Amino acid sequence: MQSTVIVSIAKKEIMDNIRNKWIILVSVMFAILTLVFSYFGSFGGQGWQDLGMTISIMANIVTFLVPIIGLMLGYVAILGEVERGSMNSLLSLSMTRLEIVVGKFLGLAAVLCFTILVGFGAAGLLIAANVSSVDFLEYSLFIGATMMLGLVFLGMAIFFSTVFSKRSTALGGAIFIWFLFQMILPIVFLGMLIATVDISSVVPGSSISVPGWYHGLTLMNPISIYSSFLTLSLGPVASMETSLLIPLPEWYSSGLLVGILVLWILLFFILAAWRFQRQDI
Amino acid sequence: MPTQQVTCPQCHTTVTVTGNVGETVVLICPQCHLKGTATIQGSDATPARTSDGAIVVSNLTKSFNNFIAVKNASFIVRRGEIFGFLGPNGAGKTTTIKAMLDLIHADAGTITINGVDVSIHGKEAKRFVGYLPEKVAFYENLTALQNLMFYAEVKHASQEECSRLISEFGLGDTGKKRVGKFSKGMVQRLGMARALLGSPPILILDEPSGGLDPRGVVLIRDKILEMKKKGTTIFVSSHILSEVQEICDRVAIINRGVIVAQDSVEGLSSKLNLKPLIRVTVDAMSPALEAAVKALPGVHRVTIGGNVLDIICDGAMKAKIILAISTAGGNIQNIQTKEPTLEEVFMRYTEA
Repeated sequence: MQSTVIVSIAKKEIMDNIRNKWIILVSVMFAILTLVFSYFGSFGGQGWQDLGMTISIMANIVTFLVPIIGLMLGYVAILGEVERGSMNSLLSLSMTRLEIVVGKFLGLAAVLCFTILVGFGAAGLLIAANVSSVDFLEYSLFIGATMMLGLVFLGMAIFFSTVFSKRSTALGGAIFIWFLFQMILPIVFLGMLIATVDISSVVPGSSISVPGWYHGLTLMNPISIYSSFLTLSLGPVASMETSLLIPLPEWYSSGLLVGILVLWILLFFILAAWRFQRQDI
Repeated sequence: MPTQQVTCPQCHTTVTVTGNVGETVVLICPQCHLKGTATIQGSDATPARTSDGAIVVSNLTKSFNNFIAVKNASFIVRRGEIFGFLGPNGAGKTTTIKAMLDLIHADAGTITINGVDVSIHGKEAKRFVGYLPEKVAFYENLTALQNLMFYAEVKHASQEECSRLISEFGLGDTGKKRVGKFSKGMVQRLGMARALLGSPPILILDEPSGGLDPRGVVLIRDKILEMKKKGTTIFVSSHILSEVQEICDRVAIINRGVIVAQDSVEGLSSKLNLKPLIRVTVDAMSPALEAAVKALPGVHRVTIGGNVLDIICDGAMKAKIILAISTAGGNIQNIQTKEPTLEEVFMRYTEA
């Protein structure tokens, strides 16, 4: 692989997104949401909440928004160029298909990470200036984990952009993926849990004893992994698991969860490269 | 067993290849270790040798589902020539071009560009190529210069070259205007500028005049001829047959996925036994004059309309016809010769 080619493609992706104001819009949206949720989001809260509180409020909105942004950013990465016709010209240059996928992934990843960093970073600095206790490490972990969540969905979207041949189908696929990980899988897993656990024995307000397979299954959902990572590293966040008082197992660790998120990113990146390699343009 | 000399496209070392006629041999350059293929040509197989070929397509077959788009297509584009690639819509032209650039994966056959196998060393092979696709597209949010700069980075061309090409193709005043706001003709001209970036030794142009106004057509045609003078090999697929006839040294015609002919236009006309037409206008027609012309050996058909004779005849008959008409008392007012056109050749080769 030639790094100059990869850098050129990545730069082009960044420039393209700067020109269509995408970066600016999403960064501003993240910053405004963070500030609004920090100031108004807590029940009974008076003005600015500290960063820890802001994270727990923001985690839920992040699990909704960041996957959408990752998917929207990537679902036409390959397909859009094929549809528009510019992929012909790109592939006629002295470059491999793998270099194109790597370049596109890195460029779009840079756009995604930059928007998250600037959006949350700017809001975090503003909040930090208005509150007394500031834990920048926690906030950095939150930003880092959020970037990884975004990258998982970006990888998925790029893979789907190599699978579908029409923009509308790819968009439908992206929306389905979002519903799958956001709604369908958690409900299915919880349904399976409820079907197998004796609910009548659960004391209200106490934790449910959850079988190991359930925690294994939740690793199949990057959104659950993200929520679990935040809970494990930064304290409880309002994920579906914690809201139902499902405790995290002892074998969960921050390293394991980050590792699995990395595997998710790699899995779809490899699938995208494999699929694109075989595609007729 | 026949042997063949092949020049390495990377280090220009001459490599001798041995094999059976028609056999495609994988070879590695002893000097730079570049891997490629060569098809052994017999003396009667084709007039061009593989080593002459800037582009060599051998037995290319590509199908989509159950539809065979290209079947056993073989042709050689010689170095420094302008090679026209013709065919009706859906004949397999664009499929062939896409296979040449590794945009689609061939089911069978080999394609080499400057001796480098496209399917094995696509990246190396494409270093030699500038490509103008049929559907020219750019990144619409970027300006002409930003677009060209992106391609220039990969092709190791300079910003000065980008600016020069933009100016040469009449886009110098577009400045910060995004390509998304360009007219179709402007996009086509920018596409040609992109193809020329880095001065590639081979140009593959798919419908280069598409969407252009007459001035644009002339600009592109002149540029193609200028590139030929510089030694560039040019492969042109076009529907404008008069233009192809004007600029191309040789043509190949593809019909329903099969290469049905390849030669110079004159060669194809001769193979089809197409004859020139001589149109003679006389001051007064007479039966004696008509009989004199029809009696000439080499005259195949005479059609008379008023004072005009349309004579289909062998190539070197013009002088004899003039003499026969004068001897028969005809007073010639005007004489025109119309050679067989590529259009006639095309129609004959592609008729159902």
